[in-house]
Amino acid sequence: MLSDETGRTDQRRGSPPDPDEDAARAYLDEVRREIDDEVRRRRVSGDLPPNIERELDQLFLAHSPLGGRGAALRDMLRLVDASVFIDPVVPVESRRPGGTTVKRGLRSLSLWYLRYVTHQVSEFATAVSRALHVLDAQVTDLRHKVEALAVPPSLAIRVPWAHNVAAWWVPPVIGELAGHDGRVLHAACGDGWLVGALVARQVDAYGVDPRSSVPGPELDSLDLRVEDVVEHLGAVAPGSLHAVVLSGVAEGSGHVERRRLLEGAVRSLSAEGVLLVHSLTPASWDGDDAPVEADMAAARPYRPRTWTAVLDDLGLEATVAEGPDGRDYLVTGRRHDGR
Amino acid sequence: MTAEPEHAEPGAPGTPEPETGTMKVAFVTPRYGVEVMGGAESAARQLAEHLVADCGWQVEVFSTCALDHITWDNVLPPGDSVLNGVTVHRFASSSGRVPEFYELDGRLRVAPAEASLEQSRRWLELNGPVTPDLIEALRHSDAQVVAFYPYLYYPTVMGIEATAAPAVLHPAAHDEPALYLKVFDATFSDADAICYHTAAERRLVQRRHRVAQIPQIELGLGVSPVVDGGRPGAAVLGIGDRPYVVSVGRVDDHKGSSMLAAFFRLYKKRHPGPLALALVGPIAATIPDHEDIVLTGSVTEADKCDIVRDAMISISPSALESFSLVVLEAWEQSVPVVVNATCDPTREHCERSGGGLWFGSYREFEAVLERLSADAELRRLLGVRGHAYVQRYYQWPNLIRRYGSFLTTVRRRHEAARA
Repeated sequence: MLSDETGRTDQRRGSPPDPDEDAARAYLDEVRREIDDEVRRRRVSGDLPPNIERELDQLFLAHSPLGGRGAALRDMLRLVDASVFIDPVVPVESRRPGGTTVKRGLRSLSLWYLRYVTHQVSEFATAVSRALHVLDAQVTDLRHKVEALAVPPSLAIRVPWAHNVAAWWVPPVIGELAGHDGRVLHAACGDGWLVGALVARQVDAYGVDPRSSVPGPELDSLDLRVEDVVEHLGAVAPGSLHAVVLSGVAEGSGHVERRRLLEGAVRSLSAEGVLLVHSLTPASWDGDDAPVEADMAAARPYRPRTWTAVLDDLGLEATVAEGPDGRDYLVTGRRHDGR
Repeated sequence: MTAEPEHAEPGAPGTPEPETGTMKVAFVTPRYGVEVMGGAESAARQLAEHLVADCGWQVEVFSTCALDHITWDNVLPPGDSVLNGVTVHRFASSSGRVPEFYELDGRLRVAPAEASLEQSRRWLELNGPVTPDLIEALRHSDAQVVAFYPYLYYPTVMGIEATAAPAVLHPAAHDEPALYLKVFDATFSDADAICYHTAAERRLVQRRHRVAQIPQIELGLGVSPVVDGGRPGAAVLGIGDRPYVVSVGRVDDHKGSSMLAAFFRLYKKRHPGPLALALVGPIAATIPDHEDIVLTGSVTEADKCDIVRDAMISISPSALESFSLVVLEAWEQSVPVVVNATCDPTREHCERSGGGLWFGSYREFEAVLERLSADAELRRLLGVRGHAYVQRYYQWPNLIRRYGSFLTTVRRRHEAARA
């Protein structure tokens, strides 16, 4: 367990950042940038005939996954542009004696017809290509605008005084979950402090945390994973969890993100499932001892009665237990028809 | 290339040691044996043998008599045998991949998610190997955990349905049309646990299947000790003292070999010089003759290690890998790697380790190769970082301890659920 007071750094690794490691990473990033710049420069210079580049691109993409990370729209557009012109002059090479002469004759006879057809097809392809370029420009513009407004998804906040087994809200959570057979998700799980406590009580618990400081595959005594929480919930089978415990993830995420988080959590719950949300109060969020992420977050914590309304909208009946000093609270949500 | 490794230190406290001498594990894999070339099948054999050797566990394997994953011809004799301490039960398949498969595959791969369950079941059977006897024998196995490797074939799909023991699925999944066929939905959702090669594989599977709640582990594979043949790599290749880059693995269009050869031919046309390309592995594609390209066919482990050790760069052109041991084997010998940018697992290895670069077009291939050819210090740095990555995460003693611990947890969870 960490004793980090700020919540900003993680000492689990037990050593400060390695300057050599940082320098090597920075150097390799620089190498990648230089290579990218060189590729851009050469592409503009046109030192490779377009038809050859098209053939090579097609060869590369022939066995590439469609959803691969390298599949940028601009790369696809290069392929489109290179394919726009439909050549009416068909090849006439032949391995058979006289074949070339026959083909050449047929080509001459049909060229007027093919040229008419291919011209129209090329015109259409050109129009489509232009439309795609306009679309690309607009999407790029939109992306830049959105990036300026974007907030980190699934912002996970570490609150040392509240996120530990001695915190007031942990015994009620363990009491609620102990003795049930179903699987329990804790997000954001940190180093697995709650998952470990639940597993020790024979609860089938696992954890997810978007922060890369979570112990990963090396620690398989606990099932802890580094994943975006909303994405994770999207990949959970509906009705497959007995409980979802959220701590440090609901306070600061934006309204849309928070809605997706809660919808995903509720969808994953079984009929008798329970949603447990630990949150700081708005007053605590605004206090001097609030985590630094509070200043960077897209939204602030709900008030307890807002939770009641939000969970009611999602089909859960909520009860709220406030902490002893008014800094935090625990929301328990059950389906209206559950219990 | 800024991603930090997401792992804690190996051997961290709190991880239980696997039980020894108390577990019986079964592996189900469509091909098995030292003659079998194939990532998933080799991985299954390595895990099985290490469980026996390192944990003292009992391991049995249910497999077919096939060596060829296209025809599934019954080549090896059916029956029981022991290979490196592992009991192998072989069953003849009643049918392998039949010609109608290609017609159906061609139709379904256009929109695989739209294929009906019936169509995709038909696809599975036509793909082979159909092994009802294997499934029947698996029903009667007394193994406490059954591991299935990979997801793609009849023995796994039918075996997960049939076994009463907890099923651990090793998908070895690529972003391929088959992953989207409905016949595999139950294969993933019925698994009691999933063992992924990489985080990239987990993301891929979870984009398609809602299985995130299932207990899982990211394991990967260990690198075997280098078998030094003691000869210069160029001498093994018969290219005098020319520098060379190497690509190890089946020479196959699907593995990107033809693309790599075409890229290299053009590179040499634009950058004349002594650099050669060695394609090392069984040949399943037609690569046009070229004075700068050497095809070795299958080679001994010692020859392979010699060739890789002295290569300037190791290139993995394949876009469809779920792990890629050859990338790690190059790093084991401190050789820098270059990978296909659209292959998430190999690119993830490079990003996490800082031991390699990647290309997503000929232009990038040319720029990367040009830079690495001219920059020995960069090659050294990449090799050193790749080597450190392999040492840290992919050594068998640590991996098998984690795997053993995981299987123990899966078994206990299953027993608790039954109780």
